[in-house]
Amino acid sequence: MTADRRPALEASDLWFSYSARRPVLRGVSLTAAAGEITIVLGVSGSGKTTLLKLCKGLLGPQRGAVRVLGEPVVAGRRRRLDPGVAYIPQHLGLVRNSGVLDNVLTGALGRVAELPSLLRRLPEDELRRAQALLERLGIGGKAAEKVYALSGGERQRVAIARALMQRPRLLLADEFVSQLDVLTSRDILTIVRGIAAEGVAVVVTTHEMELADRYADTVIVLRDGEKVLDRRAQAETITDIALALRG
Amino acid sequence: MMGRGALTAWLRRLGGLVLIAALIATLRSVGLLDPERLVRGVRNLGIFARGLFPPDPSTLPTLGGAMLETIQIAFAGTAIGFVLALPLALLACPVLFGPPVTASVKLVLALVRTVPALFWAIVFVVAVGLGPAAGTLAVALYSLGYLGKLLYETFDGVDPEVVEAVRSVGCSRAQLARYAILPETANGILALLLFMFEYNVRASSIMGFVGAGGIGFYLLGYIQLLRYDLLLSGLLLTLAVVILIDWLSGLVRRMFLIPVTPAAPAE
Ligand SMILES: Nc1ncnc2c1ncn2[C@@H]1O[C@H](COP(=O)(O)OP(=O)(O)OP(=O)(O)O)[C@@H](O)[C@H]1O
Ligand SMILES: [Mg+2]
Repeated sequence: MTADRRPALEASDLWFSYSARRPVLRGVSLTAAAGEITIVLGVSGSGKTTLLKLCKGLLGPQRGAVRVLGEPVVAGRRRRLDPGVAYIPQHLGLVRNSGVLDNVLTGALGRVAELPSLLRRLPEDELRRAQALLERLGIGGKAAEKVYALSGGERQRVAIARALMQRPRLLLADEFVSQLDVLTSRDILTIVRGIAAEGVAVVVTTHEMELADRYADTVIVLRDGEKVLDRRAQAETITDIALALRG
Repeated sequence: MMGRGALTAWLRRLGGLVLIAALIATLRSVGLLDPERLVRGVRNLGIFARGLFPPDPSTLPTLGGAMLETIQIAFAGTAIGFVLALPLALLACPVLFGPPVTASVKLVLALVRTVPALFWAIVFVVAVGLGPAAGTLAVALYSLGYLGKLLYETFDGVDPEVVEAVRSVGCSRAQLARYAILPETANGILALLLFMFEYNVRASSIMGFVGAGGIGFYLLGYIQLLRYDLLLSGLLLTLAVVILIDWLSGLVRRMFLIPVTPAAPAE
């Protein structure tokens, strides 16, 4: 575990609304520690995706602030974002027409020389690193395939590899395994656990209580844009979680 | 009291009557309700139709050369137009540039599109003289206007999640275009290019009307000489080439365009 005492992610009193109507998030605070898995639970529409986008800086809060390792996250439609925070969107956001290796390599774009990268010239060691990540995730043989030719579980692994390519200190994953079968999602979550064990702070959203029970170090429940539960996971909290989810 | 449904039905009927009255008034004012004129028109069409047959193939060697020039105008014009349109379309992309830039580029492209291709041809004949160079420049400019718009609309259609995911790695805007927007739309770009080329082969065949090169020069000449049999050979040749190009571009599509399935994990 790292010597860093500051929490990897510190979101305080976040308020956000997409339009003038009712705010989607109302005063949500959350901290995520390095080396731990924080699971954000909530039914559909409770604001999970919005919360992650605020943490990544894809959206800016109307009130409140987000800090990553003490540094404020500044949102902006066209500004460069922090490569140290990896974000895997709900539907993964892979480039379908590109190859698997190319998708993974995009994870390195934040640190490579810009001009050569525009000509698709990336350093050799980045190529080796991308290939090694694919091997580690069990899809080394698929490096040359196009993403559209992969199965759901394989795509998930490509998205993880792209995120790891960023060498993140914080990994935000949205509805990570909801569309996978039980066995595959178990494999994927085991991988995620390994990532956390290397000192990355992991925040995963889901609407499946069982996942929280099994994999979370901390559970947060969102209901209707408000945080209604935030505690260290313990065996007996599953009923509390169920109660909190429904209200 | 009339019910609400009855009122709308009545209004709809009134609207229909107004529309028909407007159509009749328009036909009258453009001179299509003059029976004498219509009869004369039908008779002239008959003479024209009889004059078309049998087609006279004697000028086909000349026409073949001119047709090749037409295709060259379309090919070079489409290529130049595309090379200019691509960067402009990226400048019009709201995920890459702010409203001042995108709005200005869209305005410029709209201005280019306002002017018909044949008018551009006249402008370039004045500028660079008679011949296919003028036609090529006209087709290029015209393609720039259309491809620019069609391309930025294609870029707008990129899945926002893909843009968000690639932005999240901390890349620059140029890298975002290179690694997300262009690969995601590669299929669409190729389809647009093929469409534009097919369209430009047709458009280039009338460039010759104003002396801007290609087969149009001969077609117009045959009409003026009342040699409709020669005209028909020219039209048949154009038709054959258009069909051939449609078939070839179908082949290219099948070779390069790949099926796109949603990026969401399989169920
Ligand atoms: N781009 C948007 N514009 C307007 N409203 C939005 C937008 N995105 C989300 N919302 C609204 O914000 C609320 C929260 O949405 P969000 O996507 O954060 O929920 P979620 O918890 O991720 O749901 P799900 O489990 O279905 O993914 C919803 O009521 C949704 O309709
Ligand atoms: Mg969501």
